[in-house]
Amino acid sequence: MTGQRGQPARRTVLAAGLSLGAGLLNTACRSAVAEQQGSGGGPRHGGTLHMVQGTDILPAFLLSQINPNFSVSRTVFNTLTELDHRTLRPRASLAKSWRVSDGGRTYVFQLRDDVTFHSGRPFGPDDVVFVLDHLTKDTTSSQVKSVAQQVTSAERTGDHEVTVGFGKAVSNVWDMFEMMVLIDRESVTDLASGREIIGTGPFTVESYKPGSSISLKRNRHYWKPGRPYLDGIEIAIAAQSSSAVASLRSGQTHLALDLSPLDAAGIRDRPGFRLVQSDAHDLTYYIGANVEVPPLDKVEVRQAVAWAIDRKRVLAQALGGIGRPSSLPWSPGTAAWDPDRAAAYTLDPDKAKRLLRQSGAADAKVDLYYSNTLATNAAIAQIVQANLEDVGLICRLQPKQDAEYQKMFVSGKIPGLFVNGHGFGQLTPSTLVKGSWPFNAQQNASNFRDPEYSRLADEIWTGKGDALTTAYRDLNQLFLEQQFVIDLINSTHTYAIQASLKGLAWTMYDGIDLDHAYLA
Amino acid sequence: MLRYALRRVPSALAVLAIASVVVFSVLHLAPGDPAVLAAGPDASAKTVSAVRHQLGLDAPLPQQYLTWLGGVLTGDLGDSYVRGVPVATLIGNGLGNTLELTLGAIVLAVLLGGLAGLVLGVAKGRLVRGATAAATALAFAIPPYVSGVLLVMVLAITHRILPAGGHVSVLTDPEIGVQYLIMPALALALPAAAVLARFLSTSIRRVFGEDYIRVGTAKGLRRRRIVLCHALPNALPPVLTVLGIQIGQMLGGAIVVEAIFAWPGVGQLIIDSLKSSDYFVVQNLLLITVTVFVVLQTVTDLLHAAVDPRLRME
Repeated sequence: MTGQRGQPARRTVLAAGLSLGAGLLNTACRSAVAEQQGSGGGPRHGGTLHMVQGTDILPAFLLSQINPNFSVSRTVFNTLTELDHRTLRPRASLAKSWRVSDGGRTYVFQLRDDVTFHSGRPFGPDDVVFVLDHLTKDTTSSQVKSVAQQVTSAERTGDHEVTVGFGKAVSNVWDMFEMMVLIDRESVTDLASGREIIGTGPFTVESYKPGSSISLKRNRHYWKPGRPYLDGIEIAIAAQSSSAVASLRSGQTHLALDLSPLDAAGIRDRPGFRLVQSDAHDLTYYIGANVEVPPLDKVEVRQAVAWAIDRKRVLAQALGGIGRPSSLPWSPGTAAWDPDRAAAYTLDPDKAKRLLRQSGAADAKVDLYYSNTLATNAAIAQIVQANLEDVGLICRLQPKQDAEYQKMFVSGKIPGLFVNGHGFGQLTPSTLVKGSWPFNAQQNASNFRDPEYSRLADEIWTGKGDALTTAYRDLNQLFLEQQFVIDLINSTHTYAIQASLKGLAWTMYDGIDLDHAYLA
Repeated sequence: MLRYALRRVPSALAVLAIASVVVFSVLHLAPGDPAVLAAGPDASAKTVSAVRHQLGLDAPLPQQYLTWLGGVLTGDLGDSYVRGVPVATLIGNGLGNTLELTLGAIVLAVLLGGLAGLVLGVAKGRLVRGATAAATALAFAIPPYVSGVLLVMVLAITHRILPAGGHVSVLTDPEIGVQYLIMPALALALPAAAVLARFLSTSIRRVFGEDYIRVGTAKGLRRRRIVLCHALPNALPPVLTVLGIQIGQMLGGAIVVEAIFAWPGVGQLIIDSLKSSDYFVVQNLLLITVTVFVVLQTVTDLLHAAVDPRLRME
């Protein structure tokens, strides 16, 4: 194997190189990729589902609706009831039945008697009482806190019965029970840090590495017989949407949550993959307007902005066609949904110019703020800037670091327009005007305060029958007239999946439901 | 020597003290409010205020500084504002993963760079040398964020040989862990390997011009023995110096590679923490970095003093 005397043979060098290459490519008999691919066939027990999501879970916010927790809120936990996607009426979950009395002020729940927490402790009425109490704490973050604060009494009234009394009958009680994941009261102090994540759901937390991954395994004592099918779930964090796409396309991942809209659209037509769109339609992109800042203090200017924006272009270029243009915050099928009014604002530059002239704001300047970490919002901002320039408004883009943007947003101190997304349009309309910061009738990001708005918000929270229908109509009219929130696109969360994943479901709050999921 | 070492301690402590004040001040003067992020979406002003109080962010800045410093000195780095997890856990996990990636890259850089350097320095075939030179030029020219994406396209998506991203520790499952490590380590290692190859080949050619090599050849020593036993050992010292510099660059470059391969290292941790104004995490990471630098600098000074007695007399 030597050439000239003392000289390493070319074949030796070549063989060494090939050996190194082969070694790199085939370092082991087990394959990290093959381990994550199903073996094919019909419904079956077993297998590990590999998921990827953009940001780490935040156990401290399990009682809020935040995207990172969607992967665990329904896989590790359960709620008392779950909303039917078609009728939006409650269905049994840990509460097997209930009775509402006293004009909607008293709810009596009969709980399942065969449920245990992952720690082995039986679930019971005291756990419901604990979570309701926990929801009202000052430091607990939840969008349905306003409902919880109406609870005047919550007590155990039987071995498997809990009675909840409200000070007044409000319309979004079932939203609260849909969102209120039943955490384990014995480990709640370790929940926020992720040291103990204990629920009653189909999967138990085997390990949690903050910022890196979470590993779930099948709950052998789950109260639904024969479920779940899967042996476990591995959730990885990939901050870059493109990394998540690569992971999916390589076969390493079965399910990618919340890819950026353009990445998601790219997956849609690929063979072997599916882009599933949530039917909740609870992600609406909008332009907010601080009504205390000139020229946005004039309603005609805000309306002019609404007429100036090309929503179809936003939908096509920033959102990859996922969603529909909408001038109102509601999702189709909800009580306040009005398709005609949702189409009220379309692109009409002439009308926008006329309104600007009438208000004396032609050639006025306006700043447009957005978080520079959200690519979709940045893309929308650029389109809006171009649209506003077309009608004569001088629009300056103001990208901000997310932390700075959030501080300005929450304090209501954004001095101009801002691009954002909101949820809560998919359920009881009162949840939006009572719990969502852009719309909160008491105080909101736009600093819009109006006695009529407050009245209507209270009316849809506590009203009934015809009065409620009238209030919805009047509220829609107020939104369209005032335009402190200029809704653009009613979009939705997406799940990019390999075709081998079957039985994927989700709650109306977009918690992933894998009770019946399997790998074909 | 002991006296010299003791003389170095006050300046090192002074640097650390100043660094702690600078790190704390800069981050707290930056825009953003951790309480807002820790309070969660749609939080009311009352909730934000309660969270701010709970986190101790409503205390005067000097008091916050002293509380933090006291914790650091007693080994308690505090909890992440946003995640609620002990900062020590976050940094420990991230640091371990980054070191794993960098070590893997160093091994690959040495193997590939050494092999290519030998070929360039020793091989006589023009074709082999030309191809190797072209390969090293390419490896040097392509930055890790390009080679990383190319590797994913070819080895993960097109051929599905290796996982596209993620992390399984080599220590917990070596068989699978190595497969997760190969591509990010390779992307990180390629430019360093090219630099090492160039330096090694140049160094070997220089050594081949030395008298003792000609003597060995005249005495009839086999070429392999001349290369491995005489030329290579004498060519290595300058290459090792370059390797040291490359290791530093690889540690820095790991941030980009971590992002491409969803590798949960320190780089990702810093970026996430800065995005969310998670001061505690960033503060501690920066202070640890400064501490490591100060310790290394002090050790280097002591080593210099050990080999050069004149320094001890100053």
